[in-house]
Amino acid sequence: MKEELMEILEELRPDVDFANETALITNGVLDSFDIVALVGELNDAFDIEIKPNNLVPDNFNSADAMLALIEKLQDE
Amino acid sequence: METSVLCRLNAAVQKYGSKIAFKDNDNTLTFSEFDALTRSIGTYLARLVPAGSPVVVMSGRHTFTPACFLGVVRAGCFYAPMDGDMPVTRLNQILGVIKADFMLVDRAHLDIAQGLDFRGTIVVMEDIIGYPADEALLAQREAGLVCTAPLYVIFTSGSTGVPKGVITSHQSLMTYIDSVSKVLDINDTDIMGNQSPLDYIAAIRDIYFPISRGASTFIIPKNEFAVPTALFETLNREKITALCWSVAGVELPAKLGAFDVLKPEYLKKLCFSGSVMPCKYLKIWQEHLPDVLYVNQYGPTEATASCTYYVVTEKVDDDTVLPIGHPYDNYHVMLLSEDNRPVPDGEIGEICVSGPILALGYYGNAAYTEKAFIQNPLNPNYRELIYRTGDLGRFAEDGNLMFHGRMDRQIKHLGHRIELGEIEEAARKIEGVVDCCSLYNKPKEHLYLFYTGDATSKDIVLNFRKNMPAFMVPRKLVNLDKLPTLPNGKIDMQTLKSYFK
Repeated sequence: MKEELMEILEELRPDVDFANETALITNGVLDSFDIVALVGELNDAFDIEIKPNNLVPDNFNSADAMLALIEKLQDE
Repeated sequence: METSVLCRLNAAVQKYGSKIAFKDNDNTLTFSEFDALTRSIGTYLARLVPAGSPVVVMSGRHTFTPACFLGVVRAGCFYAPMDGDMPVTRLNQILGVIKADFMLVDRAHLDIAQGLDFRGTIVVMEDIIGYPADEALLAQREAGLVCTAPLYVIFTSGSTGVPKGVITSHQSLMTYIDSVSKVLDINDTDIMGNQSPLDYIAAIRDIYFPISRGASTFIIPKNEFAVPTALFETLNREKITALCWSVAGVELPAKLGAFDVLKPEYLKKLCFSGSVMPCKYLKIWQEHLPDVLYVNQYGPTEATASCTYYVVTEKVDDDTVLPIGHPYDNYHVMLLSEDNRPVPDGEIGEICVSGPILALGYYGNAAYTEKAFIQNPLNPNYRELIYRTGDLGRFAEDGNLMFHGRMDRQIKHLGHRIELGEIEEAARKIEGVVDCCSLYNKPKEHLYLFYTGDATSKDIVLNFRKNMPAFMVPRKLVNLDKLPTLPNGKIDMQTLKSYFK
């Protein structure tokens, strides 16, 4: 799953080091338009539904945080 | 009589001294504090800079930036705002057009400023806060302003690969602000929530409604737009009553489901502009906030960001097409055919606009200016300039103007105006790109680049990220052996569109 996520992130923003970034939202690395695009792609790719309450910096600040969110939503 | 926006600022300070003019997460400026800042900055600059000169302003998303703009005006000069987050290449292009001798920056942008192709003087705003105002000097500079003098130069995409600087006069700005204030009924009880970058044309309402109408403006931190519930919480905490946002900004919270969690409780007025509003998102706003005044605004930077407006009185459906409506007060709108004749009633023509809101042209580019701002071909009797927008329109039977797209390859993407030709110019400069064509998949909001050559898509995106604003980076790249062509040798864009998915 992580590989697929990394591929999506890499295609979205090849200029960002997703393996090591831990403040993607807090530091404004990803902007609001990146988030809109990303939410759509993650919903499709992992068959989940990311809700507005999930859209907080803690869930998107790093690739690992996103992975945890995806796993949590898949379990629901 | 108002000779400049300074007349308005002076009057607002008299009337609203201790009221909040601008606020952000860290600072609050009352009208008096704001005015004092403009006088310090104005005095300092007036001692250095000749009246009537351009001053570049590169300052962040905070309350002091509008004070920098008006400080430049107090010095009898005009400002050219730049977004310091843009790539250095882009900033250098803007500097190459404006050729200013002075740049005003906040300390956070000093390093960037020092790394640019700029040989003039850099002034740091924080260093001159509290600089003693010289009232005689300021009065002298203010007296030298006439309402047709330039107020600012704002840069927009140019198809040749160099951004164009649109020059707006004091008179144009004041005319637009008065007209739009009337439609939205902006007054001193309003609190604006600023979304637009401050260097961008859409921010002029957030900057000049306080100065003109006694409203207050809260500058919303940029990253809150990525967290829609935080955005709405901020609108509620700051008791925001009016928003003038790009369509892209209005779509965001609806797209991300923010209304499922909470809604802006104090909002009374929402004006959106910049591109065609997809009504499936407006519908969500209307369902949750039925009493808000919704206004669809249309117009180019060259006519002070505006032209016509439509007050949405009906409940919209997913497939509703909103009119762009009627001209604002002091705007004259007409439709011309390709051979410069009036178009018959109900037919499509190019939207042309005239009136005191016309820009003074493109900075340092007489050739472009003369092409876009022309003598009204229907008027042989006296000088009457019109601006050809390049947009197509049609008057419906009820008198409302309807929008029918572009005549050329200009698009609106994420709230920004982009010439596809400029994307192609930038791509051709990249090593490994031989030929290319850029197209826009509007329903998906994907900017495509089709190209030949052995560059990888990563090479190209990295190059764009380095040299171009983020909204101009292609999202989908397609490498082809050969670009399909029509019998006349031109690129076959219809075939390329079959790659959209």
